[in-house]
Amino acid sequence: MPRSREPSNRLWTVLAAPGIGWLLLFFLAPLYVVLAIVFGQRDPLFRTAVPVWNPLQWDPTQFTYVLTRIGPGEVYFPALARTVVYVGLASILCLCIAFPVAYYVSRLAGRWQGLLIALLIAPFWISYMMRMLAWVNLLQNDGLVNKILSFGGLFDVNVDWLTGQPVVVVLGLAYGYVPYMVLPLYAGLDRLSQSMLEASRDLGASRVSSFLRVTLPMCRPTMLAAVLLTCLPMLGDYFTNDLLSASPKTAMVGNLINDSVQAPGQTGQAGAFVMLVLVATVLPMIYYVRVTLRGDEVRT
Amino acid sequence: MPVPIGSGPNRRQFLQRAAILAATAPTLGAFLAACSKPAGTQGAGPSLTIAKPDSPVKWPIADDNKPIGDNLPPEKGATLKIYNYADYLSPQAIKGFEDQYGVKIEVSTFNDGDEAITKLRSGVDFDIYNANYTEISRLVTGGLVRPLNHSYIPNITNVWPTFTNPWYDQGWQYTVPYTIYTTGIGWRTDQVPADIGKLSNPYASLWDPTYKDKTAIIDDFHTAMAMVLLKQGITDVNTSSADDLKMVGEQLTALGKATSPKVTITMYSDMPAGQIGLCQMWSGDIINAQSYLPEGVGPEILRYWFPQDGKGLVDNDMLVTLKGGKNPVLAHLFLNHMLDPAVAKENFSAIGYQPPQNSLTAESLVAESFIPENLKNVIVKPEYFDTGYRTLELDTANEDAWRNVWNAFNSGGS
Amino acid sequence: MSVLTSAKEIRGPVGWYRDPWRKPRVLAGITIAYLVWSLLPVLIAVMFSFNDGRSRTNWQGFSFRWYWGDQSRSVWHDASLHTALFQTLKLGLLATLVTVPLGVLFAIGIDRWRGRLPAGANVLMLISFVIPEVLLAVALLFVVTSLALPFGLGTSAQVVGLVTYQIAYPAVLVRARLATIGRQYEEAAMDLGASQVESLRRVTLPMLMPAIFASTVLVFADVIDDFVLVRYLSNGSATEPVSVKIYNTARAAPTPALNALATLLLIAAFAAVVIGYLIFRRMTRNDETSGSGIAAFAGET
Repeated sequence: MPRSREPSNRLWTVLAAPGIGWLLLFFLAPLYVVLAIVFGQRDPLFRTAVPVWNPLQWDPTQFTYVLTRIGPGEVYFPALARTVVYVGLASILCLCIAFPVAYYVSRLAGRWQGLLIALLIAPFWISYMMRMLAWVNLLQNDGLVNKILSFGGLFDVNVDWLTGQPVVVVLGLAYGYVPYMVLPLYAGLDRLSQSMLEASRDLGASRVSSFLRVTLPMCRPTMLAAVLLTCLPMLGDYFTNDLLSASPKTAMVGNLINDSVQAPGQTGQAGAFVMLVLVATVLPMIYYVRVTLRGDEVRT
Repeated sequence: MPVPIGSGPNRRQFLQRAAILAATAPTLGAFLAACSKPAGTQGAGPSLTIAKPDSPVKWPIADDNKPIGDNLPPEKGATLKIYNYADYLSPQAIKGFEDQYGVKIEVSTFNDGDEAITKLRSGVDFDIYNANYTEISRLVTGGLVRPLNHSYIPNITNVWPTFTNPWYDQGWQYTVPYTIYTTGIGWRTDQVPADIGKLSNPYASLWDPTYKDKTAIIDDFHTAMAMVLLKQGITDVNTSSADDLKMVGEQLTALGKATSPKVTITMYSDMPAGQIGLCQMWSGDIINAQSYLPEGVGPEILRYWFPQDGKGLVDNDMLVTLKGGKNPVLAHLFLNHMLDPAVAKENFSAIGYQPPQNSLTAESLVAESFIPENLKNVIVKPEYFDTGYRTLELDTANEDAWRNVWNAFNSGGS
Repeated sequence: MSVLTSAKEIRGPVGWYRDPWRKPRVLAGITIAYLVWSLLPVLIAVMFSFNDGRSRTNWQGFSFRWYWGDQSRSVWHDASLHTALFQTLKLGLLATLVTVPLGVLFAIGIDRWRGRLPAGANVLMLISFVIPEVLLAVALLFVVTSLALPFGLGTSAQVVGLVTYQIAYPAVLVRARLATIGRQYEEAAMDLGASQVESLRRVTLPMLMPAIFASTVLVFADVIDDFVLVRYLSNGSATEPVSVKIYNTARAAPTPALNALATLLLIAAFAAVVIGYLIFRRMTRNDETSGSGIAAFAGET
């Protein structure tokens, strides 16, 4: 008797269950703990956070404290605005750098492709810390950058790169995250059909017009995915700012979280910021998932 | 491959699911409450006993926290765990102790006291902790420290007599002194040609726009804000006056606008590297900075200022043994080891912070050229402890107010 | 069009610009510049790990001082650096061993299962892929310090955090590969009489091996560089891996021993990936359904 061709769902449920269980337990449940801490109490002696589990007993003081201070003109607004600006600038910078590189390597590299891809992947297995450390070295007052700029003593260049320069932080962010953008762009551009591009040229479009009206629209889902993959993790970055500029002038929301998590009495505030950044991360992701699911292809 | 495109949950389904979620949340809550850790110590009521120089405190010793017995042998083959600031303990002192008792020492580091206390409460098993008296009340009341058995620490006679009965721990039941230091202003003459010490208000130099992007203040809310108070001539550095705190907030904003300082505790390496030219600094850091100068730059460019009459921020760090530690005898012996004059002096040369040893007087230090002439102001004299101002532990409400001002500053104006 | 109608060939930069088949020099230049910008600082850092003096900015001569020469501060002699290195490798192995099976099974299950729950789980997994690490670290820190779990801060908590953060990686790679393979081999096996489990085990899994292997290597390389999670969930210097050590020391007064340590880690990760790639090539040498280039290895088929 032939077996049923339609596989029952049970096997797949069993296979997926450990993974789903893990995610629920260690990803979703901790978010509830964050809520319990934000809306919880504080130990009277040490002022560490005491979570309150029952939602009916939640105390919104800490949350409203933060909420009332993130509006324009309030205390925490500059840090939040700065985060958006830095991440936006860094993402655009990453895109401008990564797109030409990915385009070249995927379509035009010829026999160097393997080597170039290996070099593109290399930053992944170099520690992020080490790459940042390398830049700290170079940007110190007696480091190579100042030496090069002073052309070996011709000019007296003494720029303090590491004391609160927003430019340095944005460039640092871009430097750190651009490898994460190059690979997805490469993958997406690789899948573009060459014949479509040639067709548009054959039909008389100029180079620029062909790029703007054929290539770019075809890459749009890839670019969206790549930007999300790079831009969202950047929202929580604090160590780039810490290493490249220990100044409050360039503080990002990640610094706000990091500084207050361990401080007595401030843990709830840290949790509130965590919630805010989470919302800022999840909404674009959900929007993206909906947008891609509406299309004919599902791309992971 | 295509995924079935549903129309999404309709309204009834959504409400159903929301209702289920709302119903399960309290049960989830009860479940989690059953799993949660006991809420730490309830303490002796919600307010701390704050020790002050004019109202000294003798801490109680709880019945379940008696000191260890006499004449116990040191633990063999153990690993002594020390919790300390980075670069704040001489490797040679560590090695000497390791060789003498045949044990290993493991040093874990923290960046600031708050982080440390949070870690200590989460159940780690460090043996020794480098504490400050702004924490002592919380440490004792929270049951984190172990009382000392003085028979293991005969070297206490080598330190200044006042430390056998300090106001923050009468009868030295829990603490031994580690280092003494002042908080003043340090600068490099090649970046800051003016003699900051001769100004009428040296603290105000940090607000001087001439030094923009070259300054730094200490990354500790109390120390930095106390300096702002002193700059404005307010000597109560533990004030709870809302007006004073508001003024501090405004001054800090002005500071950010004027010179945009770094906020860090690594001035001892940043200043020699040239990142910083002028900063609020601990006295030990400027001594330490000498060994971080690059080749070709001599230590005579470093300077330090502290009020000559001692009316500035004066402090001492202490070592305590922790209740959670597994090697109490070794911990006592290590404390004794650090109070030995030779070890203390070597530690001084390694970390730059002065120990309150009787044998190290101002005259002897200068005579031996231990401290260079240009940094004479670094030496901490016993008289400073009479006239100086201490940053004390703050009570809950006050500390919240202070921290909120500091947070606002730290999240940065533009 | 004027190029085609012109009788003469136009030479020089103008001609080059108008030639549709020209070599892409501008893009090549940008790519080379990018690679230099990306890798040169690291090469310089590696170079300074061989510095003879204490400085990390002034070259003072070549020596292996910071690797094994210096008696107290070199990587060979400084016990705290050993601990960091061991902790890094330990975390790498443990996290990878848990993540990869979990992620692979999850991917297979989610891919085939029809329904709302797996779609939701898929979204959850994607979110865990892009969430800023600090959010997960803080949430787990709260969990570990508030709930009486069988483990506290330390290696176990770090492994849990790393697995949660990395599980999306094998899941995404395996799903992509499943999409490329299609169901036909499995269905053919079932037609020939195999049960579901058997066909999974004997047909699908071997075909997934390259993706599984690639994700193993990539997860390992990612875990040994992880910083935020392991720092929040550590409980002392014994459980601080190299990345945290670099961060702690970089803010104070680093010696080139730090560069040496980072270089060693770089070599370890590089070796892992190279060996993995060579094995991957061996595994896919007869397989037409997968590319065998580096890109395929990284999951970008």
